[in-house]
Amino acid sequence: MPGESKNGMQCAEFDLLLSEVLDETLSGDKLEKFQAHGRVCPVCGPLLAEAKEGRHWLKSLQEVEPPANLVHNILVATTGVDTVRLRQPASAQPQISRAERMREWAGTLVSPVWAVARQPRFAMSFGMAFFSLSLALSMAGVKLSDVQHVDLRPSAVKRTYYETSGRVVKYYENIRFVYEIESRVREFKRATTPAEPGPAPEERKERKNNNNTSGQPEQKQERNYSQGGTQPVLASAPNDPPVVTVTTYRRFV
Amino acid sequence: MLVRRCLAGDAVAWEEIVQKYNRRIYNICYRFAGSGEDAQDLTQEVFIKMYRTLKTYDVERGAFMTWVTTITRNLLVDHFRKSKQDRVTDSMDTAPSEHEDAMPLSEQIPDKGAPPDAHVQSRETGETVHRALQKLSPELREAVILRDLQDMDYREIAAVLKVPEGTVKSRINRGRAELARLLQRTYRQVM
Repeated sequence: MPGESKNGMQCAEFDLLLSEVLDETLSGDKLEKFQAHGRVCPVCGPLLAEAKEGRHWLKSLQEVEPPANLVHNILVATTGVDTVRLRQPASAQPQISRAERMREWAGTLVSPVWAVARQPRFAMSFGMAFFSLSLALSMAGVKLSDVQHVDLRPSAVKRTYYETSGRVVKYYENIRFVYEIESRVREFKRATTPAEPGPAPEERKERKNNNNTSGQPEQKQERNYSQGGTQPVLASAPNDPPVVTVTTYRRFV
Repeated sequence: MLVRRCLAGDAVAWEEIVQKYNRRIYNICYRFAGSGEDAQDLTQEVFIKMYRTLKTYDVERGAFMTWVTTITRNLLVDHFRKSKQDRVTDSMDTAPSEHEDAMPLSEQIPDKGAPPDAHVQSRETGETVHRALQKLSPELREAVILRDLQDMDYREIAAVLKVPEGTVKSRINRGRAELARLLQRTYRQVM
């Protein structure tokens, strides 16, 4: 009974002192009266035991950990910005330039292709193609630095065409002139150099047999171009031939 | 000092307030509302309300902690009123509601198969106590949460709940006893 008095203490007073007893802040005469009332009162006695047990249960509960993003969400919901960034020095904040942004964008496009190209089979093919191309260009005398400076405007292309064709014509003319000079020099040498003595008749005969496979009649190779048609010709004669004198007239031009 | 800096527009001071009190407020909300998601939403609402009404805080009227806890408690009461939990309370103060499940609480709380003292620190036991706590009436629940989980003194609790200290003590005692009774029933069923 709440209003009932037992051992000099009412149940309402017992209820008020119950918290202090559980907190261990009550002592002396009041504590004795409290304990005496609890022993005899059928309502307050069990209440003391249950309150003690309930307190024990509640104290057993451990603090729970808030979600990791709670602070961030609160800051965003209140100030609109995550002020954690404000604590960081300005130099620590990464500033992304437009070029870097473009590079990142290009990277997102290229990376799938690059992932395929990095496969060994494709890498080997690309390597061989590059090697072949670079070898062909170097053989042709093409330098990449020259290619960079190529002017692809129509007028420039036209001018390049005429320059190149003029260079080719000039080269051809030069070669022709050189060949003509060479042939003249060769003729001059032959005209000034005396005829070399021919090989022995047997040797000449052997060479003739070995070299002539054409089947055509033999040609006279020992013509002396220094002798003109008006020179006296001494024909071979028998041991006692009749002496014949032939007079020729040399023509002077 | 933090409040003054915050009122002066110092965003870092506000972040320090959030860092300092978010754990405490989240725990109050979690133990009262019962679920982590509700606790997270309620904690955010508390801080939003704090941020908007920070200039109304008067140092002479009480500690900042008491002011923060009062805002939390008021929001929890509003949340409780909006939710359906006010119809399913199983408190010593109130008779069992007609919406109460036919099953006794001892059957609603999962069977843990162990005496209370043996696994008092275990997670399962903690969940059992947490579920039993949700069955207390909101008046008893908030009183025991502030006293036994947040270690507030009676005067502070009386200021937060806006009731006399004697009422606070009485609610705490009845809340503890009711919780013990619920858990006794639970483990009596098990044993």
